[in-house]
Amino acid sequence: MSTRIGIDVGGTFTDLIFYDEASGATRIAKAPTTADSPDKGCMSVIKEAVGEDRLASAEFFLHGTTVGLNAILERKGSAVGLLCTRGFRDLLEIRRGDRAEMYNLFWQLKDPIVSRRFRLPVAGRIMADGSERAPLSIADIHAAFRVFERHGIDSIAICFMNAYANPRHELDAEQALRSLGFAGNISLSHRVSGEYHEYERTSTSVIDAFVKARLNNYLQRLKAQLSDCGFSGMCLITRSGGGAMTFDEASARSFETLMSGPVAGAEGAAEIARRMGIEHLISADVGGTSFDACLISQGRPKLLFEGRIDGMPLQTPWVDVRSIGAGGGSLAYIDRGGLLRVGPQSAGAAPGPACYGQGGAAPCVTDAALWLGMLGDGRFESGLKLNVECAQAALTALGGKLQVSADDVSRGIMQIACTTMANTIKEIALEDGLDPRQMPLLAFGGAGPLLATLIAGELDSAQIIVPLHAGNFSAWGMLGSDLVRSLSRTRIMPLTENALEEASKNFADLFKQLDEGLEKSTQTGTLKREIGLEMRFIGQEHTLTVMPPCDHGRIASDPAALRTLFLAQYASTFGMSMDDPLEIVSLRATLRRALPARNVTATVSSAGDVGAQTFDAYSFAQGRRVSFSVVDRAALLIGTVYEGPMIVREATTSSYIDAGYKVEIDAHGCMMIGRTG
Amino acid sequence: MLDRSAAVKPAAKQAKTQATAQADGPVDAAHRQGAVDVVDTEIIRHTLNSAANQMKNALVRSAFSPIIYEVLDFAVALYDRKIRLLAQAPSLPLFMGTLSFCIEAAIKALGGEGNIEPGDVILYNWPFGTGAHAQDAALIQPVFTSDNEHLIGYAVIKAHWLDIGANTMYCTNTTDVYQEGTFFPGIKLYRKGERVDDVYRCVLANSRLPKVLAGDIKAQIGGLRIGARELTRIVDRFGRGYFERTVERIFDHGEATVRSYFDKLPDGIYVGEGLMDNNGIDDKVIPFKVKLTISGSAVCLDFSDCPDSQPGPVNCPLATTVSASRIAISMLAGGNEAPTEGHFRAVEVITRKGSLFDPQPPAPCFLYGWPAMQAIEVIYQALSKLAPEAVPACSGGDICSLVWWGTREKTGEPWADGSPFPVGHGAHAHGDGVTMMHVAESATRFASLEVMEARNPWLVEGCEFNPDSCGAGRHRGGLGYDLSYRLLEDAYVTPAIERTVAAPWGIAGGRDGTPNGASVKYPDGSERRVAKATAMRLPKGALFTIHAGGGAGYGPPGERPAEDVQRDLEGGYITEAYAQRHYPHVFECRFDQ
Repeated sequence: MSTRIGIDVGGTFTDLIFYDEASGATRIAKAPTTADSPDKGCMSVIKEAVGEDRLASAEFFLHGTTVGLNAILERKGSAVGLLCTRGFRDLLEIRRGDRAEMYNLFWQLKDPIVSRRFRLPVAGRIMADGSERAPLSIADIHAAFRVFERHGIDSIAICFMNAYANPRHELDAEQALRSLGFAGNISLSHRVSGEYHEYERTSTSVIDAFVKARLNNYLQRLKAQLSDCGFSGMCLITRSGGGAMTFDEASARSFETLMSGPVAGAEGAAEIARRMGIEHLISADVGGTSFDACLISQGRPKLLFEGRIDGMPLQTPWVDVRSIGAGGGSLAYIDRGGLLRVGPQSAGAAPGPACYGQGGAAPCVTDAALWLGMLGDGRFESGLKLNVECAQAALTALGGKLQVSADDVSRGIMQIACTTMANTIKEIALEDGLDPRQMPLLAFGGAGPLLATLIAGELDSAQIIVPLHAGNFSAWGMLGSDLVRSLSRTRIMPLTENALEEASKNFADLFKQLDEGLEKSTQTGTLKREIGLEMRFIGQEHTLTVMPPCDHGRIASDPAALRTLFLAQYASTFGMSMDDPLEIVSLRATLRRALPARNVTATVSSAGDVGAQTFDAYSFAQGRRVSFSVVDRAALLIGTVYEGPMIVREATTSSYIDAGYKVEIDAHGCMMIGRTG
Repeated sequence: MLDRSAAVKPAAKQAKTQATAQADGPVDAAHRQGAVDVVDTEIIRHTLNSAANQMKNALVRSAFSPIIYEVLDFAVALYDRKIRLLAQAPSLPLFMGTLSFCIEAAIKALGGEGNIEPGDVILYNWPFGTGAHAQDAALIQPVFTSDNEHLIGYAVIKAHWLDIGANTMYCTNTTDVYQEGTFFPGIKLYRKGERVDDVYRCVLANSRLPKVLAGDIKAQIGGLRIGARELTRIVDRFGRGYFERTVERIFDHGEATVRSYFDKLPDGIYVGEGLMDNNGIDDKVIPFKVKLTISGSAVCLDFSDCPDSQPGPVNCPLATTVSASRIAISMLAGGNEAPTEGHFRAVEVITRKGSLFDPQPPAPCFLYGWPAMQAIEVIYQALSKLAPEAVPACSGGDICSLVWWGTREKTGEPWADGSPFPVGHGAHAHGDGVTMMHVAESATRFASLEVMEARNPWLVEGCEFNPDSCGAGRHRGGLGYDLSYRLLEDAYVTPAIERTVAAPWGIAGGRDGTPNGASVKYPDGSERRVAKATAMRLPKGALFTIHAGGGAGYGPPGERPAEDVQRDLEGGYITEAYAQRHYPHVFECRFDQ
């Protein structure tokens, strides 16, 4: 049984995708997000698009939500108190001394999640080697608790120095709070992250303490409504670090779920890369306000182990989706020095681009695309009709300032937006020592397929893939999530036999923790254990993650083989190598269980008459307006090669295929776009 | 005698500058013979910045010393053939725009352009060319078209090498430049892509930490190769002639951006006054002045009225004086973006040869950055007299730098570490000051305390705000703090801390903050205040504490809203006594009720 429902709640829209195993059909729907209680929007779109019968037959409910993220952005969460090591009360404000905008003289720090009066010190000290230098002061905990109690603190984070090396004091402090009768949430830093970096671990712990109650209330409410409607399957939520976890796990590790939307798109891209056997691929998700790109290597999105929300670090696995302010709604303007610029400011949903006809006077990328004919006549299946006159007025006004025509300024807007995107992709690829020209570009999101050939042209890349459901691809990607649990631990040691023995002992412990409670959460699929070793040359700070073979959670490798593995990876990333000794820094244990596979097939309607419908649009390849054939995606036959210029339309997006490019639909329904000749 | 060595002169003093957009029609390759297109300009500008970022990423991710990967004590940049700044990645602002001086000096040392070839990498670290100390070593790779026919520009990385053979790892008491390190006055480390091993071995032989240095040099070379490759690609794609014309347009853009800012300020002459603690040799304070002149859209910074160069290492060579001026101005007027050569065109810098801000060999200049940081604050002070809302009040004004080294008890291995630290920043018209790195190092982070403990024989006993260290005002300054290290083994430290005498000044009626300081408590209970000291021996058990200063306030304290004072009191940022003294209006309100 693999019937499943995915719902991705975004800022503006709630996207639903439903995969029915019985019929093999995939169904999509969109409804406005109900910001006050997003569960309402979810339930109404489910009832409308899926219905209770089919809901009862579904095995999985997969969810992506911004509830936790919004709690942080709006600073609406629990009243959090922090217990810290005496002398370290101000980590959240001193941070690492940096500022988010280095050229901004007036940069301001947003209020920390926990104000200073509720960051209270506790005497006691653990050393970097795990030994105890000073005992924990229970009296300090009592004193702090009295303050918390008096001020209605209902969630407490505890982060002590070097707790990654020895968690004893944190555990004792938790015990002390419980024996004082505290019944609220306690987030212990060593459980949140077993790694060093006290500021980052503190930040993650207070964020966990802050969002937990709000997120749980929401998830429980949603689960109850689903079950009222007959759903009896498993409820899953996507993780910032890829994969999904059960609602119950999320209630214990809320901080792992905060960044789910863009990650789902990257996960979908990884599924496609695996299916096609593509070693490296770049996903390019272009929406209204942002461009999100991610490197997919060996069938997995690139993973980082630190993320950032609203300027605050989270020490947790984090899919490396790079986001820049460039999308369909990005505004074009002349800057103070007289150059044409595009983004990062966006027209947003209101007033939106000028062509929405809602009073937007400044031209956006969408206006330029519409004026150039790249969106055909601007009519969409949904009934939306873009207003060309409004776009023209906005573009003419901007062009006037530069003394160029609306056509010229539109071309400029498109080229600048696409250069910005292409440069981001280049940086991502080169950081891993990869050549962006050699990697296919997977384009999706509302505006991705529109810009794909222009971005690819800028990158000089040979292959573009536009997947099925490209406009709702993030939700589609969510449906393919694996169940993932992961834990990590810092243990710095030179790479020797003994170190590997010690590492394997630690892995056994980490996997034991990961296995706890697993039986009741899922029985499906095979369980895979993955181990990662963060390694570096002794003396360096930055590490590379090496994934050695794993045998029942033990490292099935020796120091020499690990060294070879590391050196190869180092050389391919940095183009050089060294003969210095290596050390292990951190250990990463991951449990992965795939959901039952989906049977994805292209659904082709009867062949359409390509060329019957045409539209004059600007061809960047030819430098003038030419006749593009306009065709519905469902009318393209598998295995037939179509040559641009053409515009391919589908429900939620449209692909602009310039002259010099050709299109072929593959067996899974992906549009494979390449160069002719 | 006043020797006007104008480092950077505005191209022309335009009264009002109009952004000149080009109206030359289509962008396509066929038209690239003609005038520059505004779209290509933006594309090339963005792509050059992206290339500089790639250089930086390669350097940071493979470097060996924390001073590079954490402190970001480096600059990476691309220059055109005329040695004008095309793009620089966010790194150490204090190096902003100093690299042109290095390239010029290095090429001159080699006997001109004719003597450089594709694949060469030139090493240059003579302080009076780099503007810095010997440790800040520039590697310069000339960049050619892909057919190797034409020189098109330079990729440069100047990075701090932890040790290149000074008296000690870090010096505060040198009396001439030759005590400060080994010099490489523009010699080829790579010739046609091949490393010159004689030179390389000579470099490593002069370092106390040759392994670390070898790793950092590799990282530097890796970054240069990427920068050179990307610059070649851009020029190949657009054509050399067109690229060169577009670059002019990029510079015009930078210039127009800065000029449009100064256009809006009234003309006038304003003098800022600074005070350095001492020169590292004797205890006399060093007052100096910077005269700021705004005329039309141009700004001139005149450092002539400052003392002669000092017998101790606080002299600031011309390149860094210019750089400090450029930072101060670009941060104000650069539209929150990385500057290019154009941004500097409206800024004229005047110095007096042989003075604190334009010393001549063999003046010692190990602590060249310290007067530079003061100069930035003083430039803002001068501007505050004209437009207080345009600038922040004074910060702690320093980076409270520490450099440590020793030999590990168990293994006998040498270790070394060093870091700058944040200070409380001045408040401004938009809000309270923040505790963060000085603007001269605004992209820098200091190392995690747990990482420090894992790496070196220290116990960090605390890192916490000093209540009342902020300057009062409608907006208050950022808090100063104490950071304490307990030595678990014998070690040496060189603290190089400035602004321990004069407090940061408030503006628009804001009160002063608190100066920086440091102290040592020895195991026998004795205590000592320190600021600049070379190679202090600290025995096991000693406690070393930095007292980072607090930023000054902005606006009259009487205008601070009661709820803000209340919040500061509840958080323990200020004490009741401080509040009574500076914010009596809040207590009057209470009595009224």
